[in-house]
Amino acid sequence: MSDSVNSNTKRKRRLISRRALPYVLSLPALLVCAGILVPFVTAIYYSLQRYRMSQPWAREMNWGENYVKFFSDSDFWNTLSVSLQYAFLTVGFELLLGLGVALLLVRRTRVNNIISILLLMPLMTAPALAALMWKLMTNPGFGILNYFLTLVGIEDFKWGASPSSALFTVVLVDIWVYTPFIMILLLAGLRSLPTQPFEAAALDGVPRWQQFYRITLPMLMPYLLTAALFRLLESIQQFDIIYAMTQGGPGDTLTVFQVEAYLNFFQSTNVGRSAALLMVLWAITFFISNIFIKNWLRLRERARGET
Amino acid sequence: MSTLELRGATKRYKKDTVVDNVSFQVAHGETLVLFGPSGAGKTVLLRMVAGVVELDEGAVFIDGHDMHDTEAEDRGVGMAFQNFALFPHMSAFDNIASPLTVGANSKQVIKAGVEKVASLLKIDHVLSHAPRELSNGQKQRTALARALAASPPLLLLDDPLRNVDAKLRFEMRLELPQLLEKQGATVIYVTQDYKEAMALGDRIAVLDEGRIQQIGTPEAIYLTPHTIDIARLFGDPVINLFDVVGQRDEQGTYVELSGQRLALNEDKAACIDTDSVLGVRPESILFVPEGTVNAIPISIEAETPLNEKVVTLALTEGSREILISRPAGTDAPSSGQAYVSIDQSALMLFNKNTGVAIGESHDAKNSDGVAA
Amino acid sequence: MQHHQSKLETVLRALALTLVVLFFMFPIFWILLMSLQTNETILRVPPSVVFEPTLANYKGIITGRLETSAASLEINFLGNLWNSIFLSVTSVTLALVLGVPAAYAFARLKFKGSEDIAFTLLSFRFAPPLLVLLPLTLYFQQMGLADTYIGLIWVYQLICLPLILWIVRGYFEDISPDIENAYRIAGHSWFATFRKIALPLAGPGIAAAGLLAFIFAWNNFIFALVLASADKQPVTVGALAFITASGIQYGQIAAAVIMSITPTLALALYAQKYLVEGLSLGAVKG
Repeated sequence: MSDSVNSNTKRKRRLISRRALPYVLSLPALLVCAGILVPFVTAIYYSLQRYRMSQPWAREMNWGENYVKFFSDSDFWNTLSVSLQYAFLTVGFELLLGLGVALLLVRRTRVNNIISILLLMPLMTAPALAALMWKLMTNPGFGILNYFLTLVGIEDFKWGASPSSALFTVVLVDIWVYTPFIMILLLAGLRSLPTQPFEAAALDGVPRWQQFYRITLPMLMPYLLTAALFRLLESIQQFDIIYAMTQGGPGDTLTVFQVEAYLNFFQSTNVGRSAALLMVLWAITFFISNIFIKNWLRLRERARGET
Repeated sequence: MSTLELRGATKRYKKDTVVDNVSFQVAHGETLVLFGPSGAGKTVLLRMVAGVVELDEGAVFIDGHDMHDTEAEDRGVGMAFQNFALFPHMSAFDNIASPLTVGANSKQVIKAGVEKVASLLKIDHVLSHAPRELSNGQKQRTALARALAASPPLLLLDDPLRNVDAKLRFEMRLELPQLLEKQGATVIYVTQDYKEAMALGDRIAVLDEGRIQQIGTPEAIYLTPHTIDIARLFGDPVINLFDVVGQRDEQGTYVELSGQRLALNEDKAACIDTDSVLGVRPESILFVPEGTVNAIPISIEAETPLNEKVVTLALTEGSREILISRPAGTDAPSSGQAYVSIDQSALMLFNKNTGVAIGESHDAKNSDGVAA
Repeated sequence: MQHHQSKLETVLRALALTLVVLFFMFPIFWILLMSLQTNETILRVPPSVVFEPTLANYKGIITGRLETSAASLEINFLGNLWNSIFLSVTSVTLALVLGVPAAYAFARLKFKGSEDIAFTLLSFRFAPPLLVLLPLTLYFQQMGLADTYIGLIWVYQLICLPLILWIVRGYFEDISPDIENAYRIAGHSWFATFRKIALPLAGPGIAAAGLLAFIFAWNNFIFALVLASADKQPVTVGALAFITASGIQYGQIAAAVIMSITPTLALALYAQKYLVEGLSLGAVKG
């Protein structure tokens, strides 16, 4: 081994890079993301301050006061209530509709495949632009949907402009955009179910609606749960659709968390309250995301095990 | 050719110790077979040598150099994987060429190298195929060719015949020893098949639960297994085992089988008054005429002719099953009552509780752990 | 699920599917029609699908000069379109350059704390974006990053990086480690192995993750709304401003919407078979 000395020095140099390699590879990505942790900590700090950009002289630490105030703050309770209503209405309807559509499309026929690809289109439309599209369709002057309503005898429906129908309108847009997400997830779930239990049930003469409740639904449950939690996580934070449609209005009808925080920050320049609102929202999403990640990991393991 | 030495190699995954303080040496040009059931730690051990699994304790020496700081690519080993591990996006040619593309080899040199090993393994006609277009046997040969292409001085073969059909395995078992001989490499060969182990190994290391149970020549393992388990793993038909208790009289130590006295060497005295197991290889039992000294009466239950031998299942007194193997073409009764005698030099005796062999040849444990 | 369908059931299913397709396709169809109409035909009562199509709206949007009866108006929608393309392409490229090696590190070279770090990165995807954006506006002003492409591209990593990291990591994990080991043992460095084995084998996954990240970056609204002024805004923010601008015709808004959503829809249709897996971060196989 005449070159052993030579290769020994080579070995030493490689050793350093072997130990450091994973860090070298992931450090740039981590650094870019770590930059994001700084504003997060800053947001906590702001949330503990009396801080209005319009009154910089009055800025001071007030510790938990922003949070304590929430208890007696009807605007906050409105925000919480509207956010929860929005989240549960959208997720609820999208689950029902998504499951229905997935069941309609479960057979792999040519038509079904084309439809399931077409249904991706709303999901791929930017939510803000989707809201804009629906705004054009509900315009009081020429909105096609208003015209349809007059055909069934409903005149002067105000859609997003009226407090009584604003929530309905944005929920409708959300359903239009995100139902396909639930649909494709459940469709993949349905198509991955084993066929034996259904064959056995059919042999035993179990009626089809009973097969659905006894076999399909329980076996689909992990997919339903993952889809629901994921959507809940996004829906409670919805900003694009609501802001693009009504900017939180009319009045405070649709001031969900992020919209309210945005308006607080940029319109009333109340940084402290805005940050505190977002911290409350973060606490909620953290709670949901923990459950979601657990579920999602279990499903991921299963999906990977199958291939 | 390289020498290889493992010293106290240990690997743990969480709390499982999959390789436990393993030490052995392999000499220049020697073929060592790692034999054991699945989960015994054979594959992990091989990967430690290859440098793709890090040791928790202990060290690997190749040609006397500690490999601790040497990456897999600098160890100069060739390896064939049980699942072939062919590069799915490369042709068979590029797969085999991969060890040759390191450094400044010209295209002609690479081509010549690939074609040489490909013709040796009879896959020259499928070199342009992608792995998914190859049959299982061709995949296996491609994987082997890749391992051999650079003529590595140390060759690691991880159960290369495991995933091929019986016919191909039979062919390859005949071909491989010549092939390895031609390569002149030091070889570590992993297998779960005792015939492969016996056919290919200069020595065999029996591995179980991460520890080396016995290491020695195929003959030593076969004739003087360290434990009942090893005795059972080697040999087809399987070894006959009888519960016995050692006794002693003025003529020496002995055990009784079907009322017949089987004398034992003095080194087996530890069996006296101890629950023991007597091991007798089926081919150490001979049919004898009635009236022969120490003949054991049996009643024949069934006879199974195998290719080169005939196996007889019989019952001794007390209805203990006994298997007798004789070369095909030899004469022997095929039913009814018969008599056999046991070659007393081939008797094995084990402690029933520990399963460990009793006797002189096992006292110096692992004496042959170091290459001769 | 094989079963026999009655005639009634077949009819009902077809009816339900028709309604579904109508509900989800009609808005896109209708806006497309609007974009091809003049204000006069748009304002007709009752509305009709029969009209003489015109490309005038697209022409106006592209040239940036909108002639109305009152005055002519200058808009820069092509600027928005360019911003969308530039921001999405550079963000995804950067995210791939940063994310793919990191994904490989997380998948293969398990190191201390790698799982925790991967989860922390993933959790960014679920945190309220404004929580980060609002303090960031103040920081960006101090750092001189306010209203710059660099600042925006950095923030866009929040969308792109976790997505790429998690999807590509899954694809790397699906490659048998032995295939990479075999290449190492054949004498190649880890980097050669990464380049010649891991990257080509994870190629489809990387492409899918890149496409999906592109779509998400393109569709993003809130980041640019908070951090960008008019000349850096992508189409999502730019098109929305039209509806409040006076003097813009409805057909032109529709044309802007169609031009804004066409790239993502085209990409989605092109790569639809990867979308299911990507959207669910690999939780289901499509």
